[in-house]
Amino acid sequence: MEKIKKRFTILSLFKSVKTTMLILFSLLIVITMFIFLLVSLNYTERTVVENSTDYTSRLTSQVNRDIDSYIDYMKNISSMIIRGGDVQKYLFTGQTKEEEQEAYERIITQFNTVLETRQDISNIGVVTRDGRYIINDGTDRLNENISLEDVDWYDKALCGRESVLTSSHVQHMIRNNYQWVVTLSKGIENPVTKKNEGVFFIDLNYRLLKDLCENNSPAASSYVFIMDGEGKIIYHPKQQLLYNGLKEEKTDEVLRCGQGHFITREGNESRLYTVSVSDKTGWRVVGVTQLSELMKNKKEMQGTYVLMAVLLLGAAMVLSMFFATAITRPIKELRDSMKEVEKGNLDNVNVAVSSQTEIGSLENSFNLMTSQIRQLMEQNIYEQEQKRQSELKALRSQINPHFLYNTLDSIIWMAEGGKNKEVVRMTAALARLLRQSISNDNELISIEKEIDYAGSYLTIQKMRYRDKLEYEIEVDEEIKHKEIINLILQPLVENAIYHGIKYRGSKGLVRITGRGEGDKIILTVSDNGIGMDETALEEIFDRSKAREGNNGVGVYNVQTRIQLYYGTEYGLHFESRLGEGTQVTVTIPKHCREEGRAEHEQA
Amino acid sequence: MNRRKWRILLWSVCGLAAAFFGFLYFCQDSGGEQKRHIIFISKVIDEENDFWKLLIDGVKMAAAENKIELSVVGMENEDNYEGQHELIQWAIGQKPDAILLCPSRYTETAPYAKKVVEQGIPLVLVDSDLNEEIADAMVATDNVRLGEVEGSFMKQFVKEDSCIVIVGHVKDSSTAMERELGVRKGLAEHEDKIADVVFCNSDYDKAYDLMMELLGKYPKIDLVAGLNEYSAVGAARAIKDMQLQDQIRVVGIDSSLEEIQMLEEGIFEGIVIQNPFKMGYLGVEEAVKIWNKEKPSGKVDSGCELITKDSVYTEENQKLLFPFREG
Repeated sequence: MEKIKKRFTILSLFKSVKTTMLILFSLLIVITMFIFLLVSLNYTERTVVENSTDYTSRLTSQVNRDIDSYIDYMKNISSMIIRGGDVQKYLFTGQTKEEEQEAYERIITQFNTVLETRQDISNIGVVTRDGRYIINDGTDRLNENISLEDVDWYDKALCGRESVLTSSHVQHMIRNNYQWVVTLSKGIENPVTKKNEGVFFIDLNYRLLKDLCENNSPAASSYVFIMDGEGKIIYHPKQQLLYNGLKEEKTDEVLRCGQGHFITREGNESRLYTVSVSDKTGWRVVGVTQLSELMKNKKEMQGTYVLMAVLLLGAAMVLSMFFATAITRPIKELRDSMKEVEKGNLDNVNVAVSSQTEIGSLENSFNLMTSQIRQLMEQNIYEQEQKRQSELKALRSQINPHFLYNTLDSIIWMAEGGKNKEVVRMTAALARLLRQSISNDNELISIEKEIDYAGSYLTIQKMRYRDKLEYEIEVDEEIKHKEIINLILQPLVENAIYHGIKYRGSKGLVRITGRGEGDKIILTVSDNGIGMDETALEEIFDRSKAREGNNGVGVYNVQTRIQLYYGTEYGLHFESRLGEGTQVTVTIPKHCREEGRAEHEQA
Repeated sequence: MNRRKWRILLWSVCGLAAAFFGFLYFCQDSGGEQKRHIIFISKVIDEENDFWKLLIDGVKMAAAENKIELSVVGMENEDNYEGQHELIQWAIGQKPDAILLCPSRYTETAPYAKKVVEQGIPLVLVDSDLNEEIADAMVATDNVRLGEVEGSFMKQFVKEDSCIVIVGHVKDSSTAMERELGVRKGLAEHEDKIADVVFCNSDYDKAYDLMMELLGKYPKIDLVAGLNEYSAVGAARAIKDMQLQDQIRVVGIDSSLEEIQMLEEGIFEGIVIQNPFKMGYLGVEEAVKIWNKEKPSGKVDSGCELITKDSVYTEENQKLLFPFREG
């Protein structure tokens, strides 16, 4: 058979279609899920960042507006106090001591009211260039060690018309104070000289700014801080750490960024900075959010996603296994059936047609094929049987015509000699022989009949050769009714006479025995003729050699018939010694033509 | 059929196992961490003293930053070293995750510090050192450098016939010894002009009295070095009371409101300040480093800064001199 070339396909990777499908399905599912997982995580992350940016920028703008209105409110307070006129009256234009005193008391009352109602105001006061002042409730004193010219914001307020807002600084102008404050100051005009000669100031502590920052912190680990337009920190939740250089804040980046947002990365930490710039104060409110805080749920989310993926994967795998099994089951059945056919079993190999698919048509074709093979096989068997029958017929030995002439000659001679008794015996034997030879419709005959047949033949031969031939027949009764194919013994006897005894000088003996042995029947034909050498023994079944002899049917045909009929384990067996004689053993089964036939067919 | 069932079982087991591990991973991740505990043993707890108050502030701030449970203990009197030794023993009994200690004595405290280490408790020294290398880490001002800054600042005022006195805080304390050494180093060739060194045991009045004594003893004194806040302020008060601020220049160490005001007034020529807040903060951070199995930094210098009359209110010095307090 021509060797089939193996073609590489994806199926050649695995042992079975089911495994292939299962693994490919799983691969497909895993890849799909992985991509889906990545995309959704990425998308979630982006959405969270975007939402957070949006949220914090709204928050910081809100804080900025609050601060603006806070500062506006403070400006209003300062305007209110300055416009009230009492300040000018006390500082510059007081006419009399009493008027000054009255103005002073009114100012103190005002200051006290402001201080009492606003906890976020540390100090409130007015100071003129030449050292007249009222601070808070009037008891606080200026720090005599500090000259007003050295105080930056005082100078600015005195020179300008607008209010001045400082960054965070230590209030060292007031004795024993030294608080960190933000100062809002405004020049006071002397109504006489029309020049700024004094300054009104409010020191704001961080109470309100802190509240604003803390309350608007977008998440637990995020914070809001405030810095001015020059990058100086006004309020920061970690201000003391910043001041001591223990922490740093990205003030430069915030300044560079202006209104908007940016993300910084330090090691594993990413922070989102959202900056809102106030138009009025120039201050920047900055919301800082740790991205890992935003992504705090990321791990959880990832966990859930992965868990879901694993569960779905498991379910999908089980399902795909079911599918794969279902899809491949017909293929498997088909394969099993084919294996049966391979073994030669063509019965009950039809498969049920499962579907209209390719597999279904495959099954159809398979069924068609097996039924055709079956038909062919049956036909073949029939033909073989016919052939065998005719062969058997052809092989059946016929009465040698020379034997017939010779016998008839012998009868004539005996008749002429007046040996009536012998004539009758011989003619009877010949008649039996002929009848049996002709009535051969039944292939099988009883052993008894077969023995009789051989006996008739031997009788005739004995009479012909007179005292040269003797014979004995010794057959067990129990096997006499058993069956045997006909015309087996006679050719063997003939062979024994013509090739054994004929060449013997003295009287020869042909002996036929029969006995059962297990499920076999053993028949022997032995003679004490000249025997055969080993070459002759070997050539005994050789058809061509057998033909050469005057016995046209020969031993070969007997052997062939027995083996054709009963099978190769049965047949003839020759034992011979030169000068001592030959024994042929015939072995046939005891029972049943059918068994023999079945075995014959299989062979 | 049987085999298929078996396989389904196998798959389901695999699936369940994966789910279980996923769940574990998920749980483990969200599990809270246990809070660690630090005991800080201060040399003294004195609300009036800015140095110690700031140091404790720093420790508190760092503890809050790192989510650490903190106990602060200390004696009312800086000189009460026996009291501190008892506190150390009490602290060991509390089995904290770390002890921060400001040793009262250079020599006497060492055996107690040893006990802490023997119990396997990480020990971080703050502010002062011990005579033996016991602790895992130390955060302090480099006191020699501190003295040196003071000394070299004084050097510019030294004249041919100058007479210098040093008012120290606690005799035989490591800080006093090192600072004195530093001052001498800073003065360099003028070291021999140091007439006397006295110790006030960190007491304003004693420092005041000692200064008065010294003024009587050495009428030609023109330079005074205080080695800590108590000694510097005590000495300065004496000089202020004697109206000698024009003849005598005083240089101090550490800051307080009074010291700053006297600096504004011109009684102090300059002060060298430590950074106690930073010191306390870094002390806790060292403990965290030890927990995280990072290599402790050994001796950490928390730094010092010279502040003169004119530089009190520069932006940077404001930040160092005046602790930021909200509201």
